[in-house]
Amino acid sequence: MSEERGLGMPVVFRFGAIVALSFLIVPMLIIVLAGLTAGGYLKFPPEGLSLRWVLAFLGLGPGSYVASTGAAGATTVFIRAFGFSFLLAALSTLASLALGTMAALTLTRHDFPGRAFIQSFFLSPLMLPGIVIGLALFIFYRAAGLGLSRSFTGLLIGHIIICTPFVIRTVSASLYNFDLSLEEAARSLGASPLQTFRQITLPLIMPGITAGSIFSFIVSFGQFDVTVFLAIPEQQTLPLTIFDHLRFHSDPIPAAAGIFAIVLVIVSLLVTARSGDLKAFAGFGKT
Amino acid sequence: MTEASPNAAWPLRQRSFWLVAPPLLVFVVFFAIPVGTLLLLSFNAPNQATLRPEANFALGNYQHFFDEELFTDALTRTYWISLEVTVLSLVIGYPLSYLMARTQSPRWSNLLMILVLTPLQVDTVIRAYGMVIIFGDVGLVNSALLYWQMISAPIPLMFNDFGVVVTLLHVGVPVMVLSLMGAMQNIDPALEEAARSLGANRFITFLRVTWPLSLPGVLAGSLLVFVTALSSYTVPRIAGGGKVVTLSTLMYNKIQTNAEWQLGAAVGAVLLVTSLIVVYFYQRLTQRSIGGLV
Repeated sequence: MSEERGLGMPVVFRFGAIVALSFLIVPMLIIVLAGLTAGGYLKFPPEGLSLRWVLAFLGLGPGSYVASTGAAGATTVFIRAFGFSFLLAALSTLASLALGTMAALTLTRHDFPGRAFIQSFFLSPLMLPGIVIGLALFIFYRAAGLGLSRSFTGLLIGHIIICTPFVIRTVSASLYNFDLSLEEAARSLGASPLQTFRQITLPLIMPGITAGSIFSFIVSFGQFDVTVFLAIPEQQTLPLTIFDHLRFHSDPIPAAAGIFAIVLVIVSLLVTARSGDLKAFAGFGKT
Repeated sequence: MTEASPNAAWPLRQRSFWLVAPPLLVFVVFFAIPVGTLLLLSFNAPNQATLRPEANFALGNYQHFFDEELFTDALTRTYWISLEVTVLSLVIGYPLSYLMARTQSPRWSNLLMILVLTPLQVDTVIRAYGMVIIFGDVGLVNSALLYWQMISAPIPLMFNDFGVVVTLLHVGVPVMVLSLMGAMQNIDPALEEAARSLGANRFITFLRVTWPLSLPGVLAGSLLVFVTALSSYTVPRIAGGGKVVTLSTLMYNKIQTNAEWQLGAAVGAVLLVTSLIVVYFYQRLTQRSIGGLV
């Protein structure tokens, strides 16, 4: 770390930074430890390490938690919920990427009356309480009688509404620095609009697309607030399963689930760090 | 090749205007109309039989809201907790984001970024649970203090306002750090060095140079953290253990436990509308003082 630039990092700042980092990181480590504890729950002094809760999460150990609807003993509530959340996050990311990129292209390349208003409209789900958005959709589904209430499509739509703003923000950011003459050159050399988009535009806005995909995947995967009112009877998401488990059990299977969630996040961040600069996240907010 | 001309790209740009239509349609149908429906429903008299808005509007639910202490308490508690979380996030996050903005080595910079982004992106249910493991009645802190016989009974650190604030801070600090960094990266260290070489000590340099230049980040970050704290349902639900009533948990109880659709919608509307008002005035105010942000 290069020092002595600017203020030269006063001691108070150094100390404060360490306190803040510990506050952020220690709970993550505690979750990992709790998921690996040999005891019934993590307490002081710790009772040693074991993989029993991780195995229980995977549906392999004696403590496994067999789904009442699933094939007996084959799968468990947790690993099925993990798979379901993964699928839901993948689908909402794909849809949000398409919708968000379309919106970003118009919003950054055209000036028209009401542009600023439409932009805030698209970004407003970021500023509004997720549980109110979920309730609004729930009321709307029931009032409209479209059969979307408590359906997979209805849940997916809720996730798309909160993921799309993230894509719009990241893709817009890469479009602002975009040199339009590159597209014009491709077009004048005979490329079709679609070819131009695929071979010129898309590669150049890829950092925005990657950041947007990762953000929306993570937001959907960990989503609780929006899901609460839209949850479907057949299959719960991972956050809801963990929440229900916490209400009735004291074992640390949720912490074992947390280990997998933390690994997923770190891997996705390492991928982003490789494909671009993580500092692009600076100035970013809410998940 | 028929279209090949220097202006060939123009039709592409013209057509790209209509790309906004599909996302706009989705957002109008599945966002604007549902929120509108919720607002309309909040003006209907309580009726457990239906949650379809009827053309019979009245202010009864809002009167109920402001007459009953449970509701007004939830309103003040929600805003008070959010304010505490915002101020504390700023105090805790400021030094860290300064360190991060001044870190030159890409390696260190990426490492610090990952350390801040990981807690931000791990889902809130798991993080809130982590805080319960640490601060709960049978949690690490209490079991360590009991083990060393420093206390005789667990101190209540969770399932109260304190627990909710600490858990929300875990969400608020990373958001604040990222916002602050955006502004701090643009501060030229030469300005601080100039102030120091002219005889200002570090404290004066910070107060007169660094702090004012970081203000756009402070203001943007504070708004984001405030709104995030205001909106959260997960944290008050888990870290509050059903004992801390905020607008979001109150709304949930009215709807899910009592099927009081219209009253629940009114609670949601109060949360929605008051937070929009806060955002609006905050942005007007900050636009005047620093010329626009967010």
